[in-house]
Amino acid sequence: MSSESSKKRKPKVIRSDGAPAEGKRNRSDTEQEGKYYSEEAEVDLRDPGRDYELYKYTCQELQRLMAEIQDLKTRGGKDAAVEIEDRRIQSCVHFMTLKKLNRLAHIRLKKGRDQTHEAKQKVDAYHLQLQNLLYEVMHLQKEITKCLEFKSKHEEIDLVSLEEFYKEAPPDISKAEVTMGDPHQQTLARLDWELEQRKRLAEKYRECLSNKEKILKEIEVKKEYLSSLQPRLNSIMQASLPVQEYLFMPFDQAHKQYETARHLPPPLYVLFVQTTAYGQACAHMKSSQPPRQDKTLSVAIEGNVDEAKALFKPPEDSQDDESDSDAEEEQTTKRRRPTLGVQLDDKRKEMLKRHPLSVILDLKCKDDSVLHLTFYYLMNLNIMTVKAKVTTATELIIPISAGDLLSPDSVLSCLYPGDHGKKTPNPANQYQFDKVGILTLRDYVLDLGHPYLWVQKLGGLHFPKEQPQHAVIADHSLSASHMETTMKLLKTRVQSRLALHKQFASLEHGIVPVTSDCQYLFPAKVVSRLVKWVTIAHEDYTELHFTKDIVEAGLAGDTNLYYMALVERGTAKLQAAVVLNPGYSSIPPIFQLCLNWKGEKTNNNDDNIRAMESEVNVCYKELCGPWPSHQLLTNQLQRLCVLLDVYLETESHDDSVEGPKEFPQEKMCLRLFRGPSRMKPFKYNHPQGFFSHR
Amino acid sequence: MERAMPQAVPLGQMEVLQALQRLHMIIFSQNVSPCGKFLAAGNNYGQIAIFSLSASLSSEAKEESKKPMVTFQAHDGPVYSMVSTDRHLLSAGDGEVKAWLWAEILKKGCKELWRRQPPYRTSLEVPEINALLLVPKENSLILAGGDCQLHTMDLETGTFTRALWGHTDYIHCLALRERSPEVLSGGEDGAVRLWDLRTAKEVQTIEVYKHEECSRPHNGRWIGCLATDSDWMVCGGGPALTLWHLRSSTPTTIFPMRAPQKHVTFYQDLILSAGQGRCVNQWQLSGELKAQVPGSSPGLLSLSLNQQPAAPECKVLTAAGNSCRVDVFTNLGYRAFSLSF
Repeated sequence: MSSESSKKRKPKVIRSDGAPAEGKRNRSDTEQEGKYYSEEAEVDLRDPGRDYELYKYTCQELQRLMAEIQDLKTRGGKDAAVEIEDRRIQSCVHFMTLKKLNRLAHIRLKKGRDQTHEAKQKVDAYHLQLQNLLYEVMHLQKEITKCLEFKSKHEEIDLVSLEEFYKEAPPDISKAEVTMGDPHQQTLARLDWELEQRKRLAEKYRECLSNKEKILKEIEVKKEYLSSLQPRLNSIMQASLPVQEYLFMPFDQAHKQYETARHLPPPLYVLFVQTTAYGQACAHMKSSQPPRQDKTLSVAIEGNVDEAKALFKPPEDSQDDESDSDAEEEQTTKRRRPTLGVQLDDKRKEMLKRHPLSVILDLKCKDDSVLHLTFYYLMNLNIMTVKAKVTTATELIIPISAGDLLSPDSVLSCLYPGDHGKKTPNPANQYQFDKVGILTLRDYVLDLGHPYLWVQKLGGLHFPKEQPQHAVIADHSLSASHMETTMKLLKTRVQSRLALHKQFASLEHGIVPVTSDCQYLFPAKVVSRLVKWVTIAHEDYTELHFTKDIVEAGLAGDTNLYYMALVERGTAKLQAAVVLNPGYSSIPPIFQLCLNWKGEKTNNNDDNIRAMESEVNVCYKELCGPWPSHQLLTNQLQRLCVLLDVYLETESHDDSVEGPKEFPQEKMCLRLFRGPSRMKPFKYNHPQGFFSHR
Repeated sequence: MERAMPQAVPLGQMEVLQALQRLHMIIFSQNVSPCGKFLAAGNNYGQIAIFSLSASLSSEAKEESKKPMVTFQAHDGPVYSMVSTDRHLLSAGDGEVKAWLWAEILKKGCKELWRRQPPYRTSLEVPEINALLLVPKENSLILAGGDCQLHTMDLETGTFTRALWGHTDYIHCLALRERSPEVLSGGEDGAVRLWDLRTAKEVQTIEVYKHEECSRPHNGRWIGCLATDSDWMVCGGGPALTLWHLRSSTPTTIFPMRAPQKHVTFYQDLILSAGQGRCVNQWQLSGELKAQVPGSSPGLLSLSLNQQPAAPECKVLTAAGNSCRVDVFTNLGYRAFSLSF
């Protein structure tokens, strides 16, 4: 094409060189007519590079011609005009060429634009198509995931395990050969089996229901029969009463008591049940006789049953009542304005109110003395109290010093260590007391009875030590676990108190009542005599100068009883301050001595007085006598007399003093002194009757 | 919660019995371990308690460190006397002497190593042993007490080699004269006898109660304690506490102390004595009372000076007697604290 274009142009250039402009125009006209639109097609045929060359060349030519015209004009010759004309024509030709080139350039530009536009449209179409496709892909993907996430209902069904399925399902359902390899088929088979089983179970359920229905009906029938039986039985019971009475079989009486027991508050009820049970168990153990014959422990309920019943009314009513009464109370207070003291007093009374019923427990000891215990329940404080009374078979002469021994206030004091029954065991009570201005329960104890800890335990009430406002429920097992020990303790307490009582009666008359089975503990001849046995106050005891050690050791609490004994022989007077622990005789009485003879001698300045105290206090076990060692106090006092004899008789004689010894040595001693602290031979050896050192 | 008056807590049976036992305890003997850090104390119930002096003296001592590390039942009767060799603790009281290994005691495994009983003549009552004395030169132990004799036991073989006769009543105390192998013994009969160990003979007798200056007939004749230093001897008991010059057998100083003394010892240029009464008395040799340091017991029976060079920080004076407490004096003028059973 380029060769063609170059061919075409060549003649043109030549023509433009040689031929006149008209000719050329003509020809182009004809050409234009021949090819209706030549230039547009021409553009395609021409090389733009060549056109550019042509353009450059034309411009050069024009420049050259212009320069020549200028040159000619300046020279201004004759023939210059011709030459100029010639040149002008050439220039015109060149301008024509330039114009042509310009047109061509325009056409090319337009063409280029068209092409670009076309291409752009194509690209746009493709782009749109691509987007459509992408969207389609996305949609399809979504569909796929939806499909994948589809959950069949069967997955929720709990199927039997595979092994079980193959073991139990019949082969026509399990189809092992098919299902083994194909999990889909397998699942289908398993579902089939499940359906089968469920159908069966539903069947069974229906059967059971009908069965139940049947049984219910039967029960109904039997109930009717039983209720018709009750009146008949009652009539038989009524008829049998005379027979019971005749045969001394108080079943009915016991029954009545149980009936009353139903109205007891829970703690008293627990106490009642447990004591009755324990009493029966004891009686059974002791003899094969029927239980009613041998009663060391008898239980009874006392009090107004109707009042107790009234207390048991449904709680809503009582609450209403309370609120009503509260409102009334408010009104009345507004109206009457009673003094604050009266109001507080009423509140106190209300707080300390006892349950109308009480349990009476009679504990009979071997010597026919009876300990009467009355248990009360303080409803608002949720504690139990006890009042004790001891009656003896024979009338006792009450020694002055024994005043406190059997008093209801102290007879049960410290049954367990530290349990003096003067503080409320329920920590919650203190808050209640604060409200009504009660300082301590101690002031009311005489009236209400003592709230000993063991009483609470017998009633199954367990109070935590450091948790106020803790719900306390009556518990049978707690009561049962404490029953036996407590009953035993109660018995020993009464017996030991009675024994002390008897001993005190003789002691006050200066007689140390050594029983025959303890005689072997002492030599036959004892010269020292007890001359005084009096009770003293705790304060007086603590003020004595020779009891400081005991007080400092914390052995002189105010729950103990205190006595002063005086043992005399000749001019020697031995004072003994005695601490009697309420736990006598498992806890021995403690003696502190002060001898007035040739100056005052106490354990501080005389090792042998110290040894005598130790003999009585520490070595008391050999003085206990036969079990239950109630004679301990007597034996200790007798021992003290013996010790004083030994002390006085073995006192080394002062050579410088003239005259016979005041106390000639009558006791047989192996040696007078022994050891670095020069102990005297205080130990008595029974069958031989001599004294030796410990 | 009830606002009751403060009161003594009522005690259970066991607590009362324990309190009574403690109340009536007498500590008869004490001895410092060879390492100087421990103190053994024996009481009238036959128990020996081991206290750690180093723990109780340390700056971070608590109440527990004043309680015994170990307490064990050593004898049936009271433990009247104890001495220590470099490995053993020897204790005696009711007629027998028993040996315990210090190393084992401190490990709390208290099994007696051996026990010996001197040959007694009487069988009715076993005589007690009031005093033990080690004679390091002979590697022997001298026992004296209820049968009025001094028994010498060879510690190597454990046999009783000789018995020294002479006292007419039981013997309270023994003392060794370091330079010449001579032993002093004082007894209930009021005599101080000087024995020569080489010849096994009595060399000298001082019957103290016969000297008017020091005799106190209302207190009895008995010699309860004695100590010796070169030619000097100090003894006391029923008669007044007296300093004697041995070679001339004359009393040189009589110490003005009314109460009978139960223990006496020389300490540097002082004499320490204790007995009836709460105080540890310190005397100048001239007879002046230098100081009286009160202790916590109503009567003292033994003093022990811990002078073991191994434990200079535990150099203390301990005193024990009619109580369950052992008073510890860190310097001579002041009771620091009490160890307690």
